[in-house]
Amino acid sequence: MNRLRIQSLQVKEYRNIQSAQLDFSSDLQLFIGLNAQGKTNLLESIFLLALGKSHRTRSHRDLIQFGKPFAVVAATIQKPHTTDHVRIVLSEKGKRIEKNGVEQPRLSQYVGTLPAVLFSPEDLELVKGSPRVRRRFLDMEIGQVSPTYIYQLNQYQQLIQQRNRLLKDPVPSESILEVLDQQLVQFSIPIWKRRLLFLNSLKVWAKETYQMIADEKETLEVYYQPSTTQLSQHESAEWEDMLSQEIRQIRTKELRRRTTLIGPHRDDLRLEVAGVDVGAFGSQGQQRTAALALKLAELELIREEIGYYPILLLDDVLSELDDSRRSHLLKKIQGRVQTFVTATSLEGLDAQTVSRAAIYQVAQGKITKQR
Amino acid sequence: MYLPQPISKLIEGFMRLPGIGPKTAQRLAFFVLTMKEDDVLDLAKALVRAKRDLSTCSVCGNITDQDPCHICSDKSRDQSVICVVQDTRDVIAMERTREYRGLYHVLHGAISPMEGIGPEELQIPELLKRVSNEEVQELILATNPNVEGEATAIYLSKLVKPFSLKVTRIAHGLPVGGDLEYADEVTLSKALEGRREL
Repeated sequence: MNRLRIQSLQVKEYRNIQSAQLDFSSDLQLFIGLNAQGKTNLLESIFLLALGKSHRTRSHRDLIQFGKPFAVVAATIQKPHTTDHVRIVLSEKGKRIEKNGVEQPRLSQYVGTLPAVLFSPEDLELVKGSPRVRRRFLDMEIGQVSPTYIYQLNQYQQLIQQRNRLLKDPVPSESILEVLDQQLVQFSIPIWKRRLLFLNSLKVWAKETYQMIADEKETLEVYYQPSTTQLSQHESAEWEDMLSQEIRQIRTKELRRRTTLIGPHRDDLRLEVAGVDVGAFGSQGQQRTAALALKLAELELIREEIGYYPILLLDDVLSELDDSRRSHLLKKIQGRVQTFVTATSLEGLDAQTVSRAAIYQVAQGKITKQR
Repeated sequence: MYLPQPISKLIEGFMRLPGIGPKTAQRLAFFVLTMKEDDVLDLAKALVRAKRDLSTCSVCGNITDQDPCHICSDKSRDQSVICVVQDTRDVIAMERTREYRGLYHVLHGAISPMEGIGPEELQIPELLKRVSNEEVQELILATNPNVEGEATAIYLSKLVKPFSLKVTRIAHGLPVGGDLEYADEVTLSKALEGRREL
């Protein structure tokens, strides 16, 4: 079977979850419970197995149940050609990751064992938040598949720090500034190329996903919005001249503001629904759907990369969508992606979907299978 | 713990050296006590002489016990090529190759606004003097392959443009003798970038 799925999951003394042993035979698992009962904690524990870190906290101590020495999360993962057993033990001393009984000293080597995409209410920031959030999304996604990109980005950031420092000198040296301008051009171009390459796939999938959830009533367009003039107006061979020229034009302003105002670190993504900027002018529903479409596009991008779908974690998302969007969403992933969903109730969920799902009740850290 | 002052002074002295912690310092100090007096004197003299008798070469900026240094005054070396490096240790590394027979110029750093290092802090006026006076035909820029090293290389290449010199930059890529499969992605893609036609 050309699929990835978690067969079983064990969680022990993790946040408010005392002990859980779950076997997943269905594609869709619904975790139902009131607020603050442990639903998100459960999804977080799966995310921890996927990325080796939590999306909610940097301190792994927060993850260990209060007063307990360890927390353990483990799973059996079935993949197209293998079955992997993974286990993460958190303690005072730190975190230990094991794959098939072998300790994984380097996180970067481990990540990818359980590919996963998480969507939580905070991801709305992708649409409503500052450009920084969207740049980080781009950089994280590309970085996952390209170590060279991470290197190029680090070099670029180092250069920007040097250049900003120089611009803060009382009288910045013109000859050094010229050198750093040249480097700025040299470092920007590979970053642009990689981002646009990624975006070309992303925009197609995001558009398709948006249409499917919104029932083709409207479309989502994703554009790269550079701090320079539109890159698409030039051949990539002309970017060098274009950027050099624009750096010269902005010189007076940069000297006044004493910081670097142009380059990939100031670029953004523009998200348009029905031709308008959805972050600024979209309705709540449009914004949520756009954020969801970007994240779900990740499913397809990862599939293109590795040949099968990752698992999908949807935290408290259904309640924010209207009935029609919700049922379209569930239809899209049905039968293709193993999905873990949290919700406060089954109310408003399409009966057919519910009938196919495995349903768990979550109350005070206890997880009980209902069906 | 009480230690007689001579030995505690010695331990403190060793601890000022890089890479030496209290335990190693103590071990070295007690070892010195077991050494022959002549050997200890030789060591002490070597320390003092290294500091007193060494200076930087007025031509290339390398450390030396004579001025100009051995390399600069060696007439058998190719006087038409100067290899520009950031640090004295880079000269030693280059010399180990036994392949390079030209001259050097040591900058003692690289351009870095964050550390307050500009061209004035590097040995650049000396370099300009050399390229204008001597029979220099080629300048090899061998600064480090990082942001600051590259910036320095670009700066120098612009600066020496009026002198109609051949200016080259050292290549970066795969370590020799290493297997391709063990190279990290970044090095490998750099090597790919700098590929040559055969």
